Amino acid sequence: MSNVKKEKTVKWGEEPKLSILDALYLPAIASGVATAIRHAVSGKATTRQYPEVEPEIPPNYRGVHRLNRDEEGRVKCVACYMCQTACPANCIEIIAAPAPKDDPHWKDRDKYPATFTIDELRCIYCGMCEEACPVDAIELTSIYDLTGLSRQEMIFDREKLLSVFDETVKSGKDPVRTHRGVLGPASETAATAKQAPPPPGRGRRG
Amino acid sequence: MVKVKVNDIEVDADPKDNCILAARKAGVEIPHYCWHESLSVVASCRMCLVEVGETKPDGTVAMGPKLVPGCQTPIKEGTVIRTDSAKVKTSQQMTLELLLLNHPLDCSICDQAGECYLQDYTYKFGKAQSRLDEPKIQRMDKYHIGEQIALFTDRCVMCTRCVRFTREISGTSELQVVARGSHEEIDVFPDEPCNNKLAGNVVDLCPVGALCSKDFLYKKRVWWLKHAESVCTGCSTGCSIHVDQAENKVYRLRPRENAQAQGHFMCDEGRFGFKYIHDERRLSSPRYSGAVTGSKGSYSNARGKPEDLSFADPWPEALKQARKRIADEIKSDANGFVAVFSPFMTVEEAYLLASFLKGLDRRVRLVLGPVPVVGNDDRYPKGSKGEPPAAGKEKFTIRAEKCPNRVGVEAVLRSFQGEVSRLESLLRQPDARAWYFVGGYPQGWVTDAIASAVGKPSLLIVQDIFPSPLSDRADFVFASASFAERDGTYVNHAGLAQATHAAIRPPAETRADGRLLMELAERTGLFNAMALRKEIGNAIPELSVLAAGDLGEQGVRLARYAQQPATAAT
Amino acid sequence: MWVWLKESWPILWPTLAAIGVILAVVPLLGLYMTFIERKLAAYVQDRIGPNRVGPFGLLQAVADGIKIFLKEQVIPDHVYTTLYFLAPAMSLMTAMFALVVMPFGPVPTDYEGGFRFVVQPGNDIGILFMMAISSLSAYGIIVGGWASNNKYSIYGAIRSCAQFISYEIPLGLSIIGVIAITGSLNIEKIVEAQSGSILDWNVCWQPLALLIFFTAALAETNRLPFDLPECEQELVGGFHTEYSGIKFVLFFLAEYTHIVTVSFLTALLFFGGWHFPGLPNPTGGTTLGMILGLAVLLFKVSMVVLFIILLRWALPRFRFDQLMGLAWKGLIPMGLVHLVGVAIVLSLGLPKHLLILTAALPIAAAYYSSVKFNASMGRWNALESGVRKTSAVSYE
Repeated sequence: MSNVKKEKTVKWGEEPKLSILDALYLPAIASGVATAIRHAVSGKATTRQYPEVEPEIPPNYRGVHRLNRDEEGRVKCVACYMCQTACPANCIEIIAAPAPKDDPHWKDRDKYPATFTIDELRCIYCGMCEEACPVDAIELTSIYDLTGLSRQEMIFDREKLLSVFDETVKSGKDPVRTHRGVLGPASETAATAKQAPPPPGRGRRG
Repeated sequence: MVKVKVNDIEVDADPKDNCILAARKAGVEIPHYCWHESLSVVASCRMCLVEVGETKPDGTVAMGPKLVPGCQTPIKEGTVIRTDSAKVKTSQQMTLELLLLNHPLDCSICDQAGECYLQDYTYKFGKAQSRLDEPKIQRMDKYHIGEQIALFTDRCVMCTRCVRFTREISGTSELQVVARGSHEEIDVFPDEPCNNKLAGNVVDLCPVGALCSKDFLYKKRVWWLKHAESVCTGCSTGCSIHVDQAENKVYRLRPRENAQAQGHFMCDEGRFGFKYIHDERRLSSPRYSGAVTGSKGSYSNARGKPEDLSFADPWPEALKQARKRIADEIKSDANGFVAVFSPFMTVEEAYLLASFLKGLDRRVRLVLGPVPVVGNDDRYPKGSKGEPPAAGKEKFTIRAEKCPNRVGVEAVLRSFQGEVSRLESLLRQPDARAWYFVGGYPQGWVTDAIASAVGKPSLLIVQDIFPSPLSDRADFVFASASFAERDGTYVNHAGLAQATHAAIRPPAETRADGRLLMELAERTGLFNAMALRKEIGNAIPELSVLAAGDLGEQGVRLARYAQQPATAAT
Repeated sequence: MWVWLKESWPILWPTLAAIGVILAVVPLLGLYMTFIERKLAAYVQDRIGPNRVGPFGLLQAVADGIKIFLKEQVIPDHVYTTLYFLAPAMSLMTAMFALVVMPFGPVPTDYEGGFRFVVQPGNDIGILFMMAISSLSAYGIIVGGWASNNKYSIYGAIRSCAQFISYEIPLGLSIIGVIAITGSLNIEKIVEAQSGSILDWNVCWQPLALLIFFTAALAETNRLPFDLPECEQELVGGFHTEYSGIKFVLFFLAEYTHIVTVSFLTALLFFGGWHFPGLPNPTGGTTLGMILGLAVLLFKVSMVVLFIILLRWALPRFRFDQLMGLAWKGLIPMGLVHLVGVAIVLSLGLPKHLLILTAALPIAAAYYSSVKFNASMGRWNALESGVRKTSAVSYE
């Protein structure tokens, strides 16, 4: 009996009663047609004419990847595999190599990516590689209209990713978005961390 | 046994233990860099500073006024160790801050990241931020330390484990500390690189990323490596090892501590001697004469053609044919059928093959194949002139016998035909009509003598990993697996039976020997080393210790060797 | 032969000309109806619709046509090839056949010689022929579904079969009223009977017949809300799942031809055909009158077509049991009662406008079904609570 008592606290829904007009269908049909006509003649199309009118991309949009260059134009990536480790889609593949020690240009570098490939088709654009990168080398740009004629074409290698950087920097639309010092937060002292806040309005972590 | 209290946990400890070992027994970790179980104590890193006190006869506890290094402090009845007081914690934090003062924090490009004690201890005991505002001292990397070793000088914490290793274990004393104070560095004398046969161990010993293996440098981040407990097959010492692999590729071998086998270390021959696993010349699929398309080796050839989309497994047919030919040969002349066992076989594989052939006819002859011996046993630590140590003073020995399981295979052969005959004795008067050769050697083992003695028999079966003059003219070639691809048991020179586990899958269409022999013998079920060990332990008295099935991480001594002392003192 | 041809030429050439007009115009119409449908759909959904090819996207239909004609002929392995090829042709053929007796412009009842807007004028079984032929279009769909050898296709075909058979009946019943009062199966005569004021249009005195006719006609043309044979959510594509390219187009052309047919029939049978109050009767024979009549008819037809397209975006699809229920429990009984009304009016010689009273039938039916529904829901609720109580006790 306790259950029956408890039942009073439960609100049981019942189907609404059917009126004559409901059963006749015709008023409902008329209102449906009226709605359709109202929209048809309103002339308020929300379509955006895409190739002519480009969409406004929010500053934190996650599009095609790029590999940033450092001040000397070398690839900024140090091949630490953090992005590959963080990637939930397993779309990043790096092969590291010791930096060419004989080249004075590379003297201050130990390790660099001999190859760096991202399968843009497999990528889910979650941005975790960007989060994981300790040297701000990999970034997602606001390029959204990525197309290609073959799967092979959509596997971006290091040079392609660097060229994306060059392009986006040249066009001026994509500023470098991450600012975390040379070796990541651990290398910053309390004082230096205070010195370099990300410029307002540019960094999405700002 | 003495009673010791660690953070209010009472444990029984060995009076020879230091505070670190006693705390470990209580489940308390005392961080340490410079101390290592098999090296002398220097107490230089100051990471293991703890509070130590003693219990007075009246029961009161008197704590020492200063923190003492746990590695250097002996224990006695009633010793009280505290690792969780504010004093100890502050000390640990400050020590780590000091050690990291000039550390470049380049974890992102450091091979040690993931198994680095600086990372682990900073995470557990350290402090997140450095207060250093000055520029860090930058030092040059030293790639000249050794053929296999690179030194990233600025990551070093000057624990001097490597220096002590070359002095105490290898006895070669290549590595030194140069300069003083904050300019201290590890280095070698000019043109005297650290290339001794145990040099690779300093990489394992280094608690940070200072000493790195050039062979493994930047090949793989360690968190992707999966470990299998295995046994090194380089010599009859049978070092316990970890096989580290990722995506079916072996990247490195590491010694696994085993006081019964070898201690903490392994030699470079074994450490870097695994490369043949991924050799392209390996046999990749079974072959037999009179295969479907007619010519010998048709399967491997046919597979190379792009238009051949047949994915049929060649093994069942090959094994069926082989079984039939073996039965025919044994029926016509059992005494003329000779099976050559390799000392690279596991006990299980030897048992499977022996029981299969002897089950067909008792007169089939089983012989032990060539046992590779190179020079003499290489014993360490060397003296100042490079001479070996006095007997009984050895800390590590590289055996001259370059195979892992002569003892085990001999035990199996003895139990099946009473005595062990060698292939060499048979070669003088070759009267065999049919041969079953088992290889598995990392290097070529078919000498001209063997090749010519075998001649043109009516049946030649070769089970091996590399092509050889024998496999080229064999009726059946069974492509088998290397040590990293097999489960089984190896018995080392001192009678220590150790289980080894497969780390990777055999490549292409090769097949692990155990499975191959199970199917050849038409035994039901899958190859399971543990179940087979139980069977062997019950069937062969000499190997009765295997009846336990699980041999543990350290392995088990055979009964007849139990009296001999272990070779590696720790 | 030549003599015969020469003698019959005055009768033959208007027929051939009309056939030519139909064959030329109908596919073009079908093509452009897809365009209109897409545009209208876009407007209803606040979009723009095709606007890339040509001005206002007008050439989109041409582009679509070219594209679909050039498409690869995909013939699945598992189809019955002969029937598979036959089905689309059967579909289109039956659809076009129905147009033989369909006046697409003013046709005088006693017009002899010269061009007329119909292939065969003065056919005394016009409506019957049309009903008979358009029923055949079910064959195209059934054969297509069967030949595809695919479970979705055959389900679509089975559905369409049931739907066609069911909706033939109300379709026929609704027309009988019109025919009986006019006293002729001749379409021109039916139109002529509505030539008076707007009150003479059939829609004005038997709206129920129009309702039944239009509903059933929608079902016959497989248009929403009755497009169960091809409903995408359940059957992928229904009977044309396995069809692509030109064969697929033939099916669709057939469907659009049906729409055209139905629109013409609606305009002719219920909305006075080419008559419009205030305009002279075009069947008088003047060229201007003919053109005006043509314009009036085409205007009416295009209104019906637009309405059919609009309905697609206004109404949800029926469930199959609802579809059958509507035919057998709603339209057929109402059609029968309406027929009785027509019989009473005719036999007692009552004014035909009394038939407007039958429009009350749906209201009565709606009242009945609402009462019945509410009662059954009440019973269900009582049953439910009973179940709840007993289960509460039994679990105690």
